[in-house]
Amino acid sequence: MADQADVVIIGSGVIGNATAYYLAKKGLSVIVIEKASDIGNGGSSRNGGGVRQSGRHPKELPLAIYGAQHLWPTLSEELGVDVEYYQEGNLRLGKTKEHLAVLADIVEKGKAGGLELDMVTGDQAREICPHLSDEVIGASWCPTDGHANPLMTTLAYYKKARQLGVRFITGEGVIAIKKVRGKAREVVTANNSYVGDTIILAAGFASRKIAASIGIDIPMIELVMEVLVTEEQPKMFYQMLGTAAADFYGHQSTHGSFVFGGSSGHEAYHRGDDITATTSMTAPCICRGIMKYFPQLADAKIVRTWAGAIDDCVDHIPVISHVEEVPGLILACGFSGHGFGIAPTVGLLISEMAAGEETTLDVSGFRYDRFKAKI
Amino acid sequence: MSKIRDRSIDIGTYCPQPDDQLIICRCEEITKGEIRQAIYDGMHTLTELRRFLRTGMGPCQGQSCSKIIQGILARELKISHLELEPAMSRAPMRPIEMSVLGNEVKGGE
Amino acid sequence: MTFERAGAVMKRYDVIVVGAGPAGLTASIEAAKNGLKVVVFDENAKPGGQLFKQIHKFFGSKEHKAKMRGFKIGDELLKTASEVGVEVVLNATVIGIFPDKEVTVNIEDQLIHYKGDAIIVATGATENMVTFEGWTLPGVIGAGAAQTMMNLHSVKPGNKVLMLGSGNVGLVVSYQLLQAGCEVVAVIDAAPRIGGYGVHASKVTRCGVPFYLSHTIIKAEGDTRVTGVTVGEVDGNWQIIEGTQKYFEADTICLAVGLSPMSQLLKMAGCTMEQDPKKGGLVPVCNQYGETSISGIFVAGDVSGIEEASSAMIEGKISGIAAAYSLGYIDEESLVTKAKVLEASLRSLRQGMFAPENRGKILDKTEEGYDISMNLLKRGYLTEEEVESYPGVKSKKGIHPVIECSQNIPCNPCQDACSKKCILIGEKITSLPVVDKEATCTGCGMCVAACSGQSIFLVDESQEEGYTYITIPYEFLPLPKKGDIGLALNRSGSEVGQAEVVKVKTAKAYDHTHLLTIKVPTELGLKVRFFKQLQEVLV
Repeated sequence: MADQADVVIIGSGVIGNATAYYLAKKGLSVIVIEKASDIGNGGSSRNGGGVRQSGRHPKELPLAIYGAQHLWPTLSEELGVDVEYYQEGNLRLGKTKEHLAVLADIVEKGKAGGLELDMVTGDQAREICPHLSDEVIGASWCPTDGHANPLMTTLAYYKKARQLGVRFITGEGVIAIKKVRGKAREVVTANNSYVGDTIILAAGFASRKIAASIGIDIPMIELVMEVLVTEEQPKMFYQMLGTAAADFYGHQSTHGSFVFGGSSGHEAYHRGDDITATTSMTAPCICRGIMKYFPQLADAKIVRTWAGAIDDCVDHIPVISHVEEVPGLILACGFSGHGFGIAPTVGLLISEMAAGEETTLDVSGFRYDRFKAKI
Repeated sequence: MSKIRDRSIDIGTYCPQPDDQLIICRCEEITKGEIRQAIYDGMHTLTELRRFLRTGMGPCQGQSCSKIIQGILARELKISHLELEPAMSRAPMRPIEMSVLGNEVKGGE
Repeated sequence: MTFERAGAVMKRYDVIVVGAGPAGLTASIEAAKNGLKVVVFDENAKPGGQLFKQIHKFFGSKEHKAKMRGFKIGDELLKTASEVGVEVVLNATVIGIFPDKEVTVNIEDQLIHYKGDAIIVATGATENMVTFEGWTLPGVIGAGAAQTMMNLHSVKPGNKVLMLGSGNVGLVVSYQLLQAGCEVVAVIDAAPRIGGYGVHASKVTRCGVPFYLSHTIIKAEGDTRVTGVTVGEVDGNWQIIEGTQKYFEADTICLAVGLSPMSQLLKMAGCTMEQDPKKGGLVPVCNQYGETSISGIFVAGDVSGIEEASSAMIEGKISGIAAAYSLGYIDEESLVTKAKVLEASLRSLRQGMFAPENRGKILDKTEEGYDISMNLLKRGYLTEEEVESYPGVKSKKGIHPVIECSQNIPCNPCQDACSKKCILIGEKITSLPVVDKEATCTGCGMCVAACSGQSIFLVDESQEEGYTYITIPYEFLPLPKKGDIGLALNRSGSEVGQAEVVKVKTAKAYDHTHLLTIKVPTELGLKVRFFKQLQEVLV
């Protein structure tokens, strides 16, 4: 098989895999290159699974709404794998006046973007989710939000794209993107090179170093967050949960386990030894956070914890962009910790960009050259 | 270093086997047939099988089944089991209640 | 309520040891002896790891605590640990090892943070499982689990047991099941030869337990629990040969199909790992002192490669002194000197036909050039003709030892047991024992009791015309009494006649191995090796 395709995608995360799938559906040939041994080994396998519209940046909101309306509801059927999507709403919880102010701001922005999003009282929140503690005094409520299983979604796109002929290669770390006759065409790894008419860079934080090889910089940093999972619990609720204080976020999965993400407040200050290694202090901190909202879960046993990095862009929204000075290159990175929920939409949009079609939604807000100094 | 693997290699098509109904992962009740099917769906590493099927993600965290699954995967891919990277081990080493994990004390106090 | 970053104030030890088994305890003792402040965490309610399940006598030489029973070694280690100031914390589950050698431990309802300047991981091993139809039925258990039930909790695992696996674990546990009063219906193994020591196999065989090599379990029968087992013979490709199916009635299936290092904690800590089938699976890469790729994190015992308790205890000592050196408690010269002695001791255990480098090889001669009995490897006993070919078996007038030891295994207590120098092994502890025809046996029985493999018998044809008196090691209760008549069983466990008990000797020096002297007609003198009490006596 020649190492050549219409499109070469760097990164087999949910963005890369979704893009590969939508491109293959259009009949384009695709190669996906992954540095890790495992498909989707970055943030795609290490997030809380939120499929939210609420709390989104106004520029991201249309992507989230499009996904919730047109892509997520039929995704399991389309990919032939249950991605465990639940559209049962999202509660963002508050315990203090300050929290309520944060929530009110979120509600206002969401409404301005046309989203069905409301403030509810503590009691109303407890009506929606009866397991909440009395400490909760208010919440934002978006009934059309939901969650899905990020592992299944990432691997479902992989499985389907592979069936459609997409070639996936793991264990291939990209060193550089090279121009040939003025156009980005070649992806260079330690042992091989792959040639594509279009090259899509969707490698999370690693995109920064790879982009640098062709003279492009995306201002982003790496934040380490942790996730924990409980053993199987009786079915309690299917809402997606978050808090105004950002102590944790998560949901109960189809399996019955609770998957909760969170941080200790030190996420930007890790030593950088191994960003997938957990610390001794984060999981206990997440547990304390959860128990204040859900005292019932105090006896639930944690079976596993893991960590992952967020590619946090300076303005906390992604770069989804052609690069005119490097024709043939499309950037899809800097998702800042909320890429999973919009991944189907982003995959669709990038596939349109790569195919030279008009995009379903406007992506001009995500250009790579938008970054400016503060004064 | 990770080994380069092309996921489009031809391992044939999935054919049912008489012992496909055998439970392999007891914690999550996953059968040999489900594991074999997932391998043909492209799950070519122990980690991917874990993520796709939950094999080894129950209370024992793969203590009992990981070697058996490694053997099944190696046979289907027609490679040595030594070429397959074991899945990652994570804290806690034993399941632990949220209330206990959150109840931190500095030793010596 | 906020929590300060625990690192600033958490309690710090010179060395934190994870696991209070043979490796962990010896490591702690060695470190503490050299002045280190040591704590040992173990998740179990009782210390000692596997030692307290080991009711049999150990192999090796004196320095390896040979002929001592495992649980006694455990007692001794615990006593020494407390004398040298090791803090042993039980019901303490290590949750993780984090950067900066931080260890979090769950004790009661708390998560406690500790730091160690060094960490020694001695977490041992877990039992492998094997799948067959019905393997998840209640009644299918690990051999180690059976041992725990019997030897720690005095619970009989079942009444009729089928053992899968003929390695030392399978053989030792089969014997213990017999001692506990279970019937062992068969020992089966997919391999074509018995994997464990021949002497362990022989003592099971002579009790009447059949071996089926090249056999595997096809199905555990039963709806809600095991009621029987169907086994079948396998060909060279491990496929069942049609028509070879056999059914055994059984309520318990014991799996003794190997162990895997419990190395998850090391992988989690970030140590470089490797898969080594010779070591039983995933093990940390480490240097000669057991130090892993993370400086200051050491390993000892099964977690670094499956062996047995004797070598685990030496590895523990090595990692203990290595930790002492790494923290400046002893100098390099002292480390090298001590390690040299220990490494030599370890090497002596790793010799012989069961040495790691011989795993998987088919040997047909002993180091001395004697033929290795294929009968022993396939059926679990030496034939009468074969027995006579070994240097421990010499015919002689009057009472004399008959040593049915035919494999080079690291063991020499019989040599020390005989004050009359009847038995010679020499410097190399794997050599076959040689009986000196010229030396005078007094019939003290010390060699019989000292033999961890129960393969020494005293034979005396001069006591009574027409009869041979045979003294056998006996570890079953209730003890027969003088005058009892029972069945005389040969090496294969077949009944060959009747035997009468003429003497039952019990002594402190025999350490619970009773010496049963039975008399049989002279023509059976070279055949009979076990005495079976009649059922009515036992009821």
